[in-house]
Amino acid sequence: MRIALAASTIAVAVMPASAFAVDYMSAEQAAKLMFPDADAFDMRSVALDASQLQQLNAQGIHGRSANWPLRVAKKAGATLGYVVTDDVVGKVELISYAVGIALDGSIKQVEILAYRESHGYEIKLPAWRKQFVGKDASSTLRIGEDIANISGATLSCTHVTDGVRRIVAVIALARRGGVLT
Amino acid sequence: MNNCLRRLPTKAVLAASLAFAASGAFAQTATEAELARRLDALAAELANVKAQLAQMQQKQSQAPAPVAPIAAAPAPASVEAAAPATTVEAAAASASTPGYSGSLFGPGTVLTSYGELNYNRPTRQNQNATADMRRFVLGYQHRFDERTKVVTELEVEHGVASASDPGEVEVEQAYIERQVTPVWAVRGGLFLMPVGLLNENHEPTAFYGVERNFVETAIIPSTWREGGVQVLGNFDNGLTVQGGITTSFDLNKWDATSTEGKESPLGSIHQELALAKAHDLAGFGAVNWRGIPGLLVGASLFSGEASQAQTVEKARITLWDVHARWTPGHWDFSTLYTRASISNTAAFNAKLVGNPTLIPKTFDGFYVQGAYKLWSHEDYALAPFARWEQFNAAKSYADLGPGLTPAGARAERVVTVGANFQVSQGIVVKADYQRFRENADLNRFDLGLGWSF
Repeated sequence: MRIALAASTIAVAVMPASAFAVDYMSAEQAAKLMFPDADAFDMRSVALDASQLQQLNAQGIHGRSANWPLRVAKKAGATLGYVVTDDVVGKVELISYAVGIALDGSIKQVEILAYRESHGYEIKLPAWRKQFVGKDASSTLRIGEDIANISGATLSCTHVTDGVRRIVAVIALARRGGVLT
Repeated sequence: MNNCLRRLPTKAVLAASLAFAASGAFAQTATEAELARRLDALAAELANVKAQLAQMQQKQSQAPAPVAPIAAAPAPASVEAAAPATTVEAAAASASTPGYSGSLFGPGTVLTSYGELNYNRPTRQNQNATADMRRFVLGYQHRFDERTKVVTELEVEHGVASASDPGEVEVEQAYIERQVTPVWAVRGGLFLMPVGLLNENHEPTAFYGVERNFVETAIIPSTWREGGVQVLGNFDNGLTVQGGITTSFDLNKWDATSTEGKESPLGSIHQELALAKAHDLAGFGAVNWRGIPGLLVGASLFSGEASQAQTVEKARITLWDVHARWTPGHWDFSTLYTRASISNTAAFNAKLVGNPTLIPKTFDGFYVQGAYKLWSHEDYALAPFARWEQFNAAKSYADLGPGLTPAGARAERVVTVGANFQVSQGIVVKADYQRFRENADLNRFDLGLGWSF
């Protein structure tokens, strides 16, 4: 497990975010919403090695990527939690979302950043997203199990839920590795 | 991305210098401790560069190419495998949210498809067994910009469409959708009517049973589409509101000599935007609420004139439905009631008396369905289900006078029991048995294979 500061990446990346109709909020806005007390968000990247990816696979989770950029919410230097942004495909279009994770590894909040499908906008409803709150890597986190489906948006629900399960597992691995504290 | 490219030679230089440093150190008879220290320092720096390079490569590979002419809908786990972004827009999009792992743009053009192959074997009249390439649908969705897209589906029914074959080729959907505000969108073109549970979600992976239910086939003429303009609103309280103005039915298409009107009254007079008579338009509205996860409650209303100025008499067709679906845990319950009426049918039927199929005044249908996900492993899932339906495509006729007014038909009741077996997300194998109470000759076993992506 490695944590690498991604300052150079950020320098390249900074530019004004455009206001698209289907983009509900930016990653920064989501992070601030999830950790309103934070006075800083440090950009970090969690890098998984081969054995850790194998551990994820053993849990039935496709690691998808070895590198996971995330925001560490800080207040007066103390860590409050983490925010991971990600994309999954709904039916045919990308859904962008952010997951806030508390220091104990439980989900603090899930926010939909952008949704582009013609159906299934309902996954951005607070009532659906609230189902994730408090769950952690030991939770099932599957549609039809501990997360209820939305009729007409099955694929969007399933893929976002799969994505959240993956993120929670990655953060749990990072915490077990002692890198994220 | 440029930063990433700049890093590539750095890696090579670093590797070369590492090798040089190692060999050079021996030539200069440096102490082993000094050598080890220098090697450690170089190795650490190399590891750091590798990490940054990997990160760059990941960011690069995660940005799908908006210029790809056609990209098949990527599997959920393969977003990162999409073609690398090659345009300034894509780089800017992925860069607009620092540290944000994805792109604000999906693929510009996405190919979609669904298909159904069905085998029906009546138990009493098994000489009528058929195997059918029921539907083969190809579609694409193209996004012009972040707010605007075109959605299309082209369907071939029954495998072959020609003058001597039973098949049809149909444009099932072709509309432009523009997201005007985060809440409101506008659709224009040929779109599916927001009626019932099945019409807008009619892919084989989305419903239980080999065949679509009878109520949403005989009464609601799925796949029902009209041409027109639609406004859609999605609210944070879980409410979805749809409404608009569309083309309507053409009652002059009614064929009193055929039994088609008895099987699906509206299905026999729909126009499907094929040189549709458009003197008379229709209005529609639909409300669906999904404020509690797992629950959907909704209703719809359609009403339109259908004489199309071809006759002196006017007729109005009105159809409404109420529906609900509840999916607690492994369970999946749904129910729907729909009722349709045609006004002034007496005037139309007066000219058709003596023919076998007159125009009904009212028709309706109801079903209740329950399914349970019994078993699942990885993507495999087995869900047995049972459905009870009652529908009457000719519930009542307008009064034509004694001896001339046909009696309303008896409602057909169908029990369907079977199972959907999901092979993978997007592939389903289905089997069921259907028992008809009124016309037991139709009792049958069904087998089906379907896909959707």
